[in-house]
Amino acid sequence: MEKEEAKGFGLNRWLVVLLLVAGVFITGRFAPITPHIQLPGEPITDVLFTLPILGPFYLTNTLLATLLVDLVLFAIAFAVVRSMGDENSPPRGWANAFEAIVGALYNIVESTAGKWAKTIFPWVATSLLLILTANWLRILPIFETIGWMHEAHEGGYEARELIQGVEYIVAEEAHDGHGYEIIPFFRGSSTDLNFTAALALTTIVMVQILGVRAHGVNYFSKFLSFGSFFSMWRRKRLGPFDVIMPFINIFVGILELISEFAKVVSFSFRLLGAIFGGAILFAVITTLVPMVSFGIMFLELFVGAVQALVFGMLTLVFATVATISHGDEEHGEAH
Amino acid sequence: MDPEVAEILVSGLRYLGAGLAMIGTLGAGLGIGILGSGAMQGIARNPDAAGAIQINMILAIAFAEAVAIYALVVALVILFVG
Repeated sequence: MEKEEAKGFGLNRWLVVLLLVAGVFITGRFAPITPHIQLPGEPITDVLFTLPILGPFYLTNTLLATLLVDLVLFAIAFAVVRSMGDENSPPRGWANAFEAIVGALYNIVESTAGKWAKTIFPWVATSLLLILTANWLRILPIFETIGWMHEAHEGGYEARELIQGVEYIVAEEAHDGHGYEIIPFFRGSSTDLNFTAALALTTIVMVQILGVRAHGVNYFSKFLSFGSFFSMWRRKRLGPFDVIMPFINIFVGILELISEFAKVVSFSFRLLGAIFGGAILFAVITTLVPMVSFGIMFLELFVGAVQALVFGMLTLVFATVATISHGDEEHGEAH
Repeated sequence: MDPEVAEILVSGLRYLGAGLAMIGTLGAGLGIGILGSGAMQGIARNPDAAGAIQINMILAIAFAEAVAIYALVVALVILFVG
């Protein structure tokens, strides 16, 4: 039986070894180059159209990568639907794999959110899968390598022609001051603040809407808590604590309001920092020790998965906190 | 001051500032260490709860780690923006 397994693995094992050896030789022949690092996504098209207030619109490489991520997710969804079969047959292939993943996710959501699980789950799963796919697609070789070549403002590298019309840059100082650099077609979507901030804003706005759905207008008493003022009038005897408490409640409400904005900031910068930092780490390690840089890719896979999980879990926790009752002020004053 | 010298000085100070900004990761490291230790003890005492503890640990680590990532973002902004 063991032999059978070894046979199944045999070809793949040699393929992996071959790829590793080829990688070592190729990195020796074509030394990796530190890419031009910048935080905003680089534009890869000219200005497409201009809107009056919002300004010029163009396609950035991070947006193109996000579209690629969407395509991949659609493809997976279609593959899952196609392999689903009828209700009686056991799930196989894509459907089986995703039933396991989605089932595990749903269990986590249900254990935290309780009866609101059905409402919260799609948001958690969507953002988690989107971020996970975006973070893992970054590992593909086409990312941050293929793109338009243009003359660098300063520094830059020597360009050589590969075939007609296709050039590549080599790790040599540019002579006579005409260095070139590359604007890649694809760059990891999470390395752009636009992607992460959009996700964070959507999530937090959704959390507020869920809160309103759960409590109605009462939800906003979390931010503007005048309730204890009214209950102050109804008291027969006023202790000093009863007079101070309403003001404390208002202050707490202001803090809650600030914390909602802080959530947006922390959501977006956590994802951006982790993934952009990873991208820079990868670029630096690739330049320093090109032979073993694939080790960093495992770290990237891990960090990408953890950040996706963290985003999903925080969405879950915030949404659950918004839906569960927070009106314990009234209960607190009853005794 | 000679403008060339000033430019070199500014870029040097920029690296220094980025390095100083990363001191902020110290607290996150401590926090994650404490969290990991607490989770390990919890799992050792009650191995059945390992799953729930792990998820909550990762969540809490994310909060602690966020501070380190803010420091990282500040350092990256100092280095690569402007």
